[in-house]
Amino acid sequence: MNADTASRASNVERIKANALPLAILVIMAIFSLTEPAFLTPGNLVGIARQVALIGIMAVCTTFVIMTGGIDLSVGPVLAIAGLVAYFALQADLPLVMVIFAGLFAGALVGFVNGAIIALLQLPPIIVTLATLSITRGAALILGGPEQHLIRDEPAYSFIGAGNFLGLPSSIWIFAVVAAAMIMVQRATPLGVLVAAIGNNERAAYLSGHSTWATKVLVYTISGTGAALAGIIQSSQVHTALATYGPFGTELDVIAAVVLGGTSIMGGNGSIARTVLGVFFLGVISNGMNILNVPIDVQLIAKGTIIALALALASRRQ
Amino acid sequence: MKLRPATSALLFFTALVFAAFSVWAPRFATATNIENLMSGFSFIAILAMGQAFPILVRGIDLSIGAIVGLAGMVVFDLALIFHLPGYLILPLALLAGSLAGALNGFLVAYLRLQPFIATLATLAAYRGLTYTISGRQLVPGLTTTAITDPWIMGIEAYFDVGGWLGLTKWVNMPWIPLSFFLMLLVFALFQVLLLMTRFGRDIYAVGGNEEAARLAGIRTNVVIVLAYTLSGFAAAIAALIMVARFTTSTEALGTGMELTTIAAAVIGGVSLAGGTGSMFGPLIGAFLMGGILLGLTLLGISQFVQQIITGMILLAAISNDRLLAIRRRPKLLAISSGAS
Repeated sequence: MNADTASRASNVERIKANALPLAILVIMAIFSLTEPAFLTPGNLVGIARQVALIGIMAVCTTFVIMTGGIDLSVGPVLAIAGLVAYFALQADLPLVMVIFAGLFAGALVGFVNGAIIALLQLPPIIVTLATLSITRGAALILGGPEQHLIRDEPAYSFIGAGNFLGLPSSIWIFAVVAAAMIMVQRATPLGVLVAAIGNNERAAYLSGHSTWATKVLVYTISGTGAALAGIIQSSQVHTALATYGPFGTELDVIAAVVLGGTSIMGGNGSIARTVLGVFFLGVISNGMNILNVPIDVQLIAKGTIIALALALASRRQ
Repeated sequence: MKLRPATSALLFFTALVFAAFSVWAPRFATATNIENLMSGFSFIAILAMGQAFPILVRGIDLSIGAIVGLAGMVVFDLALIFHLPGYLILPLALLAGSLAGALNGFLVAYLRLQPFIATLATLAAYRGLTYTISGRQLVPGLTTTAITDPWIMGIEAYFDVGGWLGLTKWVNMPWIPLSFFLMLLVFALFQVLLLMTRFGRDIYAVGGNEEAARLAGIRTNVVIVLAYTLSGFAAAIAALIMVARFTTSTEALGTGMELTTIAAAVIGGVSLAGGTGSMFGPLIGAFLMGGILLGLTLLGISQFVQQIITGMILLAAISNDRLLAIRRRPKLLAISSGAS
């Protein structure tokens, strides 16, 4: 009887561990049964393209959340990176420099976030709230309230709107970033360090790790990821605008990470599962769009799903 | 009430800022500007005081702006679709806000969700609900109809207090908006609740150490639910003030308020670590932010730069909060070692 309960418990554990991929499959089955247009290659590629931007940001900010921190400043970073790239294009810089300039803007904001949080030991939620406001102001000063059209820049436009081996290039970029970050988590000390800080920062510090350097690094990665998303977006829509990445972007990103099972208190987390979280949200919003669910119901459904998923996740502990 | 050093430092800083603007910003120290400050930031102060309760129990209410939108739409629907009289609409709107807050509290206390995540989820859900019940979508044509109910529109009233007191003979006095008096009423109510009742003591106990509070026999879950309910209640009051001002409501009413109110509360010395602060801080914090924003506008500084300055103020406020916490620590250590 003992063994029986044990095996039942391990079965339950196995289902729980794979709850997210199972949920994605179930939801996809429901959507494809109710609406045949859902399960077409075109639509599936469309889902991947839709989630690529949020996906890149979520993958890059997972480490931040694993250290017990949070990055609310991703929205304006996305906007300012697009603007910096636009002005670099205007200055006729080579494409590599254009991309570098955009990424550097995001890395800089991330670095400042990390430095303030790590060195002054201030709460990340308020620090990044403040830099959210500061970065948005800076983007508006840089670009003004008007749209900046990016015309006749085929190489730059290829970044977001191009096609490579039959798939949009933004999907390739998302895949490469996700693969690289999964590698970083599994094969480099950073993955362990990040989890150690999230579990017990004091212990990680006392065992000789330079926790502040790790923290600065993870916020810099998060800022760079948001900047990359900004470059892709400006390239996709051929426009740079200071108000891109509106309020709510950071919430979508955090939702994807947390749905992927990363604890908002830090410690536990996996970048691969963040990718699943991204697709979970993407599939739901795509399916509801196809089924013509009105936007208000979509918002309620999204909120309910996040709350439910987290309630279940916290039961597990 | 004895002022804590942090509060007196905040008051001093606020006085300094207002004095500086009075000297340098044209038309800052005028009756019109002070009237603008009172009418533009009284409801922010109410929201900040509401937000202080979740923060005091070591939580946060990101959905406070969405509750403003929801309560505002409840008023809109009841007034324009159901044609209810205002004296029924007012309590119903307050009830709607309080219920939305109570649900937040339920998610945090009983489902043990992280406050940040729980209220993030309800932020989306309440905003969605606002769209669902929006009379603007359900009954086209109402979009341009103004709410005329005297009970609601009466909130947007101004009183010539200076005239009654006979002060206008010597100096040009601002007319004081009713929302300012409402704000004072909420302040008195919340402050008494916090400092003179058992519930207030429980709030501080739960915020200081939830586990210890529970072991001491405090029903921590009830306290937490009530803290979030008060936040929703404050959001509904703010919604009534805003609807009265605009004579209508929109689905986007209150968007972004969560950040402003958290900033005002933290500037006012309500520690994000829970258990520290009172209602006085958020009140001053809200008007300090208001004074700075109005002053900068009068100085002709662009909206964009103001966003940057708001961020800087927020950083300065938490740095100060942190500094105070570090200074407090040796004292706490001394107390605990003295006790043992």
